[in-house]
Amino acid sequence: MQPTTLGHNRTGAAMSPAALQAMNEAADDLSPTQVIDTSSLQIQKMAFNSESEAVGSVPSPSTAKGYLKTGLAKLKGGEPTVLLDKLGERIAFERTGTRLYDALIAKYKATLESGDDALLPAPPAVQAAGAPAETPLETLMGIRAEELAHFKLLTQAVIKMGGDPTSQTPSADVTAVASMGIMQVLNDPRTTLAQSLNAMLTAELTDNAGWEMLIGLADDAGETDLVRGFKVALMDEQRHLQVIKTWLTALVSTPAQPAEAV
Amino acid sequence: MTINLLTDRGTPLARQNFTWKDLVQKPISKLDDDAFTRVRTILMNGVELDSLRVKQMILRMNGPLRQPIAQLMRAEQHQATLVNWLIGADHSPIETTIGYEQTAIEVTASVALLESDPYLSQGYRYALLEDFDHLYRYSALLDRLEGKDANNITQGYTDIVPARPTQVHHRAPEHDLLEPYPLDASLATKLHAITLTGGEYQTHDYYMNIGPLFSDPMARQLYAEIASVESQHITHYGSMINPNESLLEKLLLQEACEVWNYAACLEQEDHPRIRAIWERFLDYELGHLSAVIELFKAHEGRDPAEVLGDGKLPPGIAFESHREYLREVIARETSLRKDGTQFVSEQEEGESSLAYRAQMNSEGSPSETVSATYRWTPGTELAREPDLVA
Repeated sequence: MQPTTLGHNRTGAAMSPAALQAMNEAADDLSPTQVIDTSSLQIQKMAFNSESEAVGSVPSPSTAKGYLKTGLAKLKGGEPTVLLDKLGERIAFERTGTRLYDALIAKYKATLESGDDALLPAPPAVQAAGAPAETPLETLMGIRAEELAHFKLLTQAVIKMGGDPTSQTPSADVTAVASMGIMQVLNDPRTTLAQSLNAMLTAELTDNAGWEMLIGLADDAGETDLVRGFKVALMDEQRHLQVIKTWLTALVSTPAQPAEAV
Repeated sequence: MTINLLTDRGTPLARQNFTWKDLVQKPISKLDDDAFTRVRTILMNGVELDSLRVKQMILRMNGPLRQPIAQLMRAEQHQATLVNWLIGADHSPIETTIGYEQTAIEVTASVALLESDPYLSQGYRYALLEDFDHLYRYSALLDRLEGKDANNITQGYTDIVPARPTQVHHRAPEHDLLEPYPLDASLATKLHAITLTGGEYQTHDYYMNIGPLFSDPMARQLYAEIASVESQHITHYGSMINPNESLLEKLLLQEACEVWNYAACLEQEDHPRIRAIWERFLDYELGHLSAVIELFKAHEGRDPAEVLGDGKLPPGIAFESHREYLREVIARETSLRKDGTQFVSEQEEGESSLAYRAQMNSEGSPSETVSATYRWTPGTELAREPDLVA
């Protein structure tokens, strides 16, 4: 495992007591002395929120036939856009998730090549049912394959509904903004496996909640076939979450070596 | 609307006012607005920044012009801000990059068609094929790093395929130069070169700023590699501009260039709010041009018609897909190379470029590594990856 070493971190104010004292004196002498008040900032932000337009719209289903054949037309209040938007969000998330696992696999392989087998096999309880015992690399590859399969499952669902699976829906767009930090952590060669798994934990927690919500929406639309497929995907995601948590917990529980910590 | 560069007065500089809130208008929608609205936004940011850049240089080189230049620059600064801030923050840096390359491709294709000088038109087509290839390389990066489809940005207007491979764009500096247009070249020829030089500058500067923001070392390398090519393109297009123009002549052309570009944006924009911005800034630029015409007369004692002709605007950039034209250019000219200021066959390429390229690529080619086997596929290449789950 790549260690996070103790060293000469310069960021803390206490690193230089003399500078800290000087800066405190300067702040006392030269800065406002009133109590903290950010209300004008809040008012400005509220005004911008009120005036702003949305990031965009959900594209209309391209075929009326698909739309009418599916439960979209039957949705509560005749509002198909939420389901299409959320399907677009999961499509984007599963696709990005596949790429995140590409990055995690590259990082894990690098640790293996450096002779440090940091991960233990995932416990049988979280391995795919009936599968032979996997190495951690096989587990990672398996999760990546499932993320890809989920993307394809969702693509087919959108096509069936007369939607365009290649469009970027508003929720897909916003979720991608939220995922940017995870992408940055996973692809940074300086991050440890533990730090990367921590970022993946955020992704998997979000993914689990996303699938739960999608199942509810598909259920409302009376899309029983979709609900069935989505429930299988949710079970996969629950397993992914367990694997990531198990590995992360093991890594952060590893006793620190002298001058090293996880 | 017919514009006359010599007689239209536009908005006087003293009435070109802004507020901080005015500078930060609602951004365009990445999802709902037409890709060419973003193309125009990116282009005009480049044109504004170049106008500012040229003025900054003239300020350093000309005593009597310091005050009027400083006044003009204030307006240009705020115009550039307002325009650039129209790009929404939901564009990831690579998505914005895709927009930059689409701008380079479609704008340069239009300019290559508008340019009447065959040598300069060749120059536009030459670098166009390189920006075209950059779009392909960055699309691969977007797909493989973020899991996104570049066509969400380009909206079907622009093919995403390789052209002259980026790894052979790297030339020795002496082979980046072109022969400049003559002093008596048409106004259109001058405006084309200024526009493209400004466009390449902004692309270069953008890549130089965002390249280090990536954690992924391959993304950092790709931006380093393509920023280097954009720097070559600044030389390529910048050397088209005649070095013997006087500073005030350059200033006059720069303002005319802004008018010309805003007029084309205004004519073709269908987004009402953005159209109003183009209209406002067209009037601002006519105001700047009018002020510079007076400086030109006072300081050079010359007739501005010597530079601006009869004052009529040449035909503007066509903001549209150039798919068929691009395919023809790719088929015909991808194998062209440079030898000094001339365009030659692959076998005749300047030798110093071969040595330079071999050195730069000796530890690998980021553009090749990032895009190996990449083929654009609707919904990302993952859509064509075999499903391994039973």
